[in-house]
Amino acid sequence: MKNTCVEVRPQKSETAAKAVFGFAAVFSVIAVFAIIFFIFYASVPAFREIGVFNFLFGRLWAPDKEFLPVSGRFGILPMIVGSLCVTAGAVLLGGGSGVFTAMFMSKFCPAKLKGVLGHLINFLAGIPSIIYGFFGITILIPVMDRISPTGSGMGILASSVILGVMILPTVTSITKDSLDAVPREIFEGALALGASKEQAAFKTVLPAAKSGVLTALVLGTGRAVGETMAVLMVAGNSAAFPTSVFSNIRTLTINMVLEMAYASPGSLHRNALIATGAVLLVFILILNLLLGLLRRKKRERRSREKPLNIPDEGGAAPAKSYNFRETGTFTRLLKYLSAGITAAIVLVLTAIIGFILIKGLPAINFKFLFGPSGNAGASLRPAFVTTGMLILIALAVALPVGIGAAIYLSEYAKPDTRLVKTIRLFTETLAGMPSIIFGFFGVIFFCEFMKMGVSVLAGGLTLSLIILPTVIRSTEESIIAVPHALREASLALGAGKLRTIFKVVLPSAISGIVTSVILGIGRIVGESAALIYTAGAVVYTPDALTDRGASFAVMMWMFSSEGLYMSYAYGTAAVLLIFVAVLNTLIALLKNGFERGKKP
Amino acid sequence: MKNILKTVAERFAKKPPQAATAENAAENVGENVGNAAENVKEKPKMFDVDTDITVRSLDLYYGTFQALKNIDMVMPKNAVTALIGPSGCGKSTLVKSLNRMNDLIPACRITGEVIMGGRNIYDKDIDVNLLRKNAGMVFQKPNPFPMSVFDNIAYGPRTFGIRKRGDLSDIIERSLKSANLWDELKDRLHKSALSLSGGQQQRLCIARALAVEPKILLMDEPTSALDPISTGKIEELCEELKQKVTIVMVTHNMQQAARVSDKTGFFLMGDLIEYGDTAEIFAAPKHERTMSYISGRFG
Repeated sequence: MKNTCVEVRPQKSETAAKAVFGFAAVFSVIAVFAIIFFIFYASVPAFREIGVFNFLFGRLWAPDKEFLPVSGRFGILPMIVGSLCVTAGAVLLGGGSGVFTAMFMSKFCPAKLKGVLGHLINFLAGIPSIIYGFFGITILIPVMDRISPTGSGMGILASSVILGVMILPTVTSITKDSLDAVPREIFEGALALGASKEQAAFKTVLPAAKSGVLTALVLGTGRAVGETMAVLMVAGNSAAFPTSVFSNIRTLTINMVLEMAYASPGSLHRNALIATGAVLLVFILILNLLLGLLRRKKRERRSREKPLNIPDEGGAAPAKSYNFRETGTFTRLLKYLSAGITAAIVLVLTAIIGFILIKGLPAINFKFLFGPSGNAGASLRPAFVTTGMLILIALAVALPVGIGAAIYLSEYAKPDTRLVKTIRLFTETLAGMPSIIFGFFGVIFFCEFMKMGVSVLAGGLTLSLIILPTVIRSTEESIIAVPHALREASLALGAGKLRTIFKVVLPSAISGIVTSVILGIGRIVGESAALIYTAGAVVYTPDALTDRGASFAVMMWMFSSEGLYMSYAYGTAAVLLIFVAVLNTLIALLKNGFERGKKP
Repeated sequence: MKNILKTVAERFAKKPPQAATAENAAENVGENVGNAAENVKEKPKMFDVDTDITVRSLDLYYGTFQALKNIDMVMPKNAVTALIGPSGCGKSTLVKSLNRMNDLIPACRITGEVIMGGRNIYDKDIDVNLLRKNAGMVFQKPNPFPMSVFDNIAYGPRTFGIRKRGDLSDIIERSLKSANLWDELKDRLHKSALSLSGGQQQRLCIARALAVEPKILLMDEPTSALDPISTGKIEELCEELKQKVTIVMVTHNMQQAARVSDKTGFFLMGDLIEYGDTAEIFAAPKHERTMSYISGRFG
């Protein structure tokens, strides 16, 4: 921040502070490099032994000979195809619906409904993936079983539907924001030419928001390609090439999470699983590169149409008259379609919530929540303790680093320098990494390299990386919103920059920090894929940070995967939903209170 | 260019019965405005009327604030009518109520009539989109769509069902020529419209409005965001365009009104203070307030 009014003499503490904040800011760059390095480093043995070509294009995955006559074959082509199929399906279903929902919310729905729909979409975004997967096996799969010609509903279609619902909130909210940002004059210009509201919305506003829509779809693609737990439950998981939309498939992520449990450390099998993670990481990095290109300043667009060759006859051409007629049926249909899709989404959300609450609430009692948990009988007590510990560890790391980074980016760094751009790019990359990649990094780095073993501590540190981008973004937004005059007032009183930041800027930005804490807690409560192999999947309550412990979502996965504790699984799902509802309400209240506070 | 109007009129004459009634109505307007509205029972297929605009006891409210008070005026066919007055006097509001852009403002309420071709455009069965096709609008700030020059002008024709590439090219050439922009842009039709200068953008917006062959062109301070040279070009354009369209122009600039318009209306606080031939208004205004406003500006 430049200040021309007051000259601040740099003191030792000020210089040191700047260095500390600067380190916090480059932390996410370091984290991304560390993740890439450790995952690729750990997969080198697999690539060397199997061969890159055989690994990527091998058609057979047969790690051991229990089920197959051959063994020791590690080809992941079926998984690559599987991932591409479900991702394409999800983007088609969820991305398409998301854009239509955003159009409905931004252009066609009454103002009152818009707020309600916004809350619903946020709620949809907050539901943990394990619950979507659970909804898939309990409701969607039985339905799909009936319509499937093979009698088995698991597979590409079921996975695409579930993933579609999961990426919908991302696509919807980003698309809606970019639609809302299109200047009103563009919309009015189209109306003034006689276009109907529907035509103006679909043919003018939507194309004008094109780059935002593309960004939304790429982010949705990233989420779909990296999603693990939900697809794990509905994909069928056989490592074969799909032949129809009802074919069972296995994605890269499923391969990673499914076999990690019994691949012994140091074995080729395990290295091959990590190498699967490396391939997934490449996909994710390519998507991030695409995002970076999209966000760059739009170059002048040239239409792909061929140039016109109109003979210039100096206006002597006989004036031909044209038959103007009213059109717009198609766009009107699109409007009804977007209203229909929005209604369907509201219906699906209500179905998920209603179903889980009806089945889950009766299972909740004191013994289920806080009773003893062990081999004799399980309760959620370990989940409460573990989740509490995880939250403390993750926040203890992510809050100071995240706030420090936000301070550096908004108070110290010159805007739009290469450093700032790099930091932002890597923070976005970190935010776009799938949980399972974090999980694998946690196993390789915290559990093994740092010798923490599978422990709550390793899990918590892994989570701190996951929530770091949220803390940075949300804190930075609220710091930027602090009026410049406040800083000047403090500096003019002779306060140093550091004092100004801690006594004036941060207190004014408290709502953003609290929001980031709540968002982080929400993410931790619902996280499963990153925790199974870092913090463990046990029914015992951890006594120390070095013990294993399972969070709510991991507990739920254990309950449902064995099929023996379905009422427990429903109960845990209900508890998770209640958490999500409470946290979402808190954020909404905070935002409302903050906005009211800003008004005079 | 006059040929277009003729051919269009002929074609509509061949299309009984709705088009014919519209045509009759349009003819009747001149002498028999009072009964015209009753003559037309059926909704015309296309709202194409080449007539005067008659505003009758128009009141307009934004919530409880009355922005226009009992306005009565006839804006003659194939002429430029300028609306002048200080900021907030209601002149922009009036021009926006001629193509019902005020419909977009939720708290806006209108009583009275605006009659085009024997039809009150605020009647329930009026198709607003067709009305706006017939009464094109140019806004204060140029608002090209973020598309190529070609797609900008093709937008209106495409909206009204013209898809053939040859037809579109023809319309685009004709519209750009009408807006005196063809020579500047004929080699840049596929460049983004946002890459044009402000003056070019505004003339592009005029060309875009002309592409759907409107009979009325509403201009809301079309030159207020432009440099003097671009302003001059647009003023020249108005002179040419009034041969085929009826122009209503809001302006802040006295000289502009004096140079360009045939009729001038002076507004103050929502009232139409004085309305008449431009030459008379500027030479010998009847009202003291008109006088002081005009001379104040010249002064």
